[in-house]
Amino acid sequence: MRARTDKWIMVRLVAFVAVLSASLFAGAAPASAQVKLTFDKHPTIDFGKAFTASIRVKSQNDWRDFPSEPGSDQKSVFDPYRERIAVEGKILGRVLYHVEREFHATSSPWKNIYLDTRVIHGLHLQGGQFNMPFGLDQTTSLMNLDFNYHSLAGSFLAPGRGLGVMAYGDFFKKSVLAYEAGVFRQDGDNTRSAQLLDVRVAPTFAGRIVVKPFSKWQPLHFARSMETGFAFTDGVLPAGLYSLKGQTIPGDAFVQKLYVNGRRRRLGAQLQWRPGPIGVQAEAMRVRDTRIGQGIEDEDLPHVVERAWYVSGTWLVTGEHKKDTITPTRPFLNGGYGAVEIGARLERLSTGNGSNLNPALYGPRSPYVLSTADLVWTTGVNWYLNKFLELSLNVIREDRMLPRTATLLSGPVWSRTFRIEFGL
Amino acid sequence: MRRPPIRHLVLVLATALCLVPLRLSAQSTGAPAGVDALLDGSALNDVWLHINARDWQDLHTYYRDGTYYPVDFEWQGIKLRNSGIRVRGNTNRNDHKPSFRIDFNRYIDGQDLFGLKAIVLNNAWHDASMLHDDLSMLTFRKMGIPAPRQAHVRLYVGAAREYAGVYVISEEVSKTFLTANFGEDNGYLYEYHRQDGDSYGFEEQPDLGWYVPRFGPKTHETESIANLYMPVRSLVEAVNEARQGNLEDRLGEYFDVGTFITELAVQNFLAQTDGLVGGVGMNNFYLYRFAGKKFSMLIPWDQDNSFSRIDMPPSEHMGTNVLTSKIWDEPKYRNLYLARLLDIADLVSSGWLEQEAARQYEQIRAAVYEDPLTPYSREEYDQANAFVQQFARERGDVVRQYVAGLAGPQISNRTSNKIQKR
Repeated sequence: MRARTDKWIMVRLVAFVAVLSASLFAGAAPASAQVKLTFDKHPTIDFGKAFTASIRVKSQNDWRDFPSEPGSDQKSVFDPYRERIAVEGKILGRVLYHVEREFHATSSPWKNIYLDTRVIHGLHLQGGQFNMPFGLDQTTSLMNLDFNYHSLAGSFLAPGRGLGVMAYGDFFKKSVLAYEAGVFRQDGDNTRSAQLLDVRVAPTFAGRIVVKPFSKWQPLHFARSMETGFAFTDGVLPAGLYSLKGQTIPGDAFVQKLYVNGRRRRLGAQLQWRPGPIGVQAEAMRVRDTRIGQGIEDEDLPHVVERAWYVSGTWLVTGEHKKDTITPTRPFLNGGYGAVEIGARLERLSTGNGSNLNPALYGPRSPYVLSTADLVWTTGVNWYLNKFLELSLNVIREDRMLPRTATLLSGPVWSRTFRIEFGL
Repeated sequence: MRRPPIRHLVLVLATALCLVPLRLSAQSTGAPAGVDALLDGSALNDVWLHINARDWQDLHTYYRDGTYYPVDFEWQGIKLRNSGIRVRGNTNRNDHKPSFRIDFNRYIDGQDLFGLKAIVLNNAWHDASMLHDDLSMLTFRKMGIPAPRQAHVRLYVGAAREYAGVYVISEEVSKTFLTANFGEDNGYLYEYHRQDGDSYGFEEQPDLGWYVPRFGPKTHETESIANLYMPVRSLVEAVNEARQGNLEDRLGEYFDVGTFITELAVQNFLAQTDGLVGGVGMNNFYLYRFAGKKFSMLIPWDQDNSFSRIDMPPSEHMGTNVLTSKIWDEPKYRNLYLARLLDIADLVSSGWLEQEAARQYEQIRAAVYEDPLTPYSREEYDQANAFVQQFARERGDVVRQYVAGLAGPQISNRTSNKIQKR
């Protein structure tokens, strides 16, 4: 019943965006509006300034080599990781819209669906379903990631996508100080799906400030792209088995599910620096869940805290400048061999009380939380053949620190993934 | 100084000598060690479930789900923390007084209660006497059939230790049970799940998929369907192919026909209407196939529907099952079945069953009277127990008379002698 309600919310949201676009367009478009079809990077249709629509296709197909583990289902080698189509554009040159749907099997096929407009200089408003402003890696488009998978921090501690409204903008020119602040119906879709299904409203606030301290400094031109930011979320945490997830690279849960209740607070810090062909990125975040009245005899329990961080570096060997979207200077079979990028990322996700006590003391309503951690090394090569096609190979080494009673493999575990990515 | 009289010294010494053996006796008859003290039925034990109030509420609200909730299980000062509890049962599943399964291993690998990895708390929802299951299992065991041990407990719940009524605590048919009864646990154990609309009696089912929902694997759960169910299908085929005149020829490597007949006799003696033969086909049993063999055994489970009618003919529904039909239609096996019925009648006529029923009734009566969740009134409880005791008293003769009317001369003599003696 609840899933059906969510589906209807999405359908209504899509319908609202479509009807609003059509009515604005119908009211504003002169009969003589010139229709223009273009195909630069995306197929686009323009009705003058009244209405534009461009279609985007995102396809990622993986071949995976994961270890066979006790306590884990065998993973298929081929994984159609993402198959998405999005329509985006502008209405009257002022209102930006975006509708995106996933066609790969998933419980929530509707992804980013929002309207966005500039109210005044330095103030934009965005409403609908979109990424909550927390986590640099999480809020980076999946087509622009440096590695095949989001970081553990981005995947499991950052909230992900939520339904809400957000104000954002820049206080100064050249993005010296940018802000985002929003309120959302409930926590994001990285949270346990059970929570999203069971609880209708659990208001969550999220905000982020990003500073580019050197963006105006000519003498420090190599540091101009450096930016750092701080983010938080604070929201109602409904009572239930809703503590945050933690999964290994193959996708098996290694963090114990716990009963929580009260508030969930996240704090995060991010750093990004892209001097020329080099890219450096780092994040650290901490999530604290309260557990009011969640003990076996209704007593309050100590907070659950999960922490994660990562540091990554990339180098475009072929010399292109590091940006969100890499376009090879000399595309493959078009006078060159594309762009090649190498990179490495070190990351860790951990939770628990620290010392290992008697196993019988750990449970979902226990004051003690099992200490678990995953330290992951990812090294990868990205080959951008042209602006549409990319091949990526990642070799991943996990150092899992799991309780001795865990059925999953502990210690070092190797995985390999190869991806063909097509973006239009 | 006056010396104490000799006779006083003798008296003190004699008293001391008398007290010494008394004290030793008290020591030796102290609480039985281990889980026997919980399951042997010698005392009405208290079990305390420490559980979050919301979870206790959810267990009732969502009683149809199989969701586990964390619970600390406490008995005689022994506390098994972070166990898991869920509602269990089929027709007795309800939101008023649910039955529970407590899994000591749910969150803690390797945790157990003196070897038991899980226990069942049965609400005896359909049994006003609360004795049917326990007395049936006792009878099975007395007849040499491995059956789960059971006893009554007073259940207390939550931080406030609220009384939640009398439950029947039972060991599970599990690896622990297999080891204790067969000395091995690495064979294949299945729990039979009767499907709605089924009236199954060993008819051939060539499609392996038919067996999947009915024979739930309790060991080797992750093995392929072929590995799990081809041997079960072979057993069913053997039952169908076995010649009535010599069942052992074909069935010998799959079943001990004599043991099956004993199980059948116990159930029919106790007028069980939902067992190996009943109005709805086979039900309420586990099937265990021994490691590395084709040989299997049926283990009884959930005998709440026994003690139904004192005058129930022990041949009722025998024709509804391929195997029991062959047994009933072949004089050799029918006589064996009738002989087993007489064995049970002899056992019961010794007064054992009636005494045990009376003892258990006395043991739990006050607790049942105070049970805040029982669906039965005190009068209904008393009447049901009076009937169980009457059943225990009279059923032997009813069965003997029935057997006398059917059996050959050898068995008839045995029957008439017994009836005359009584």
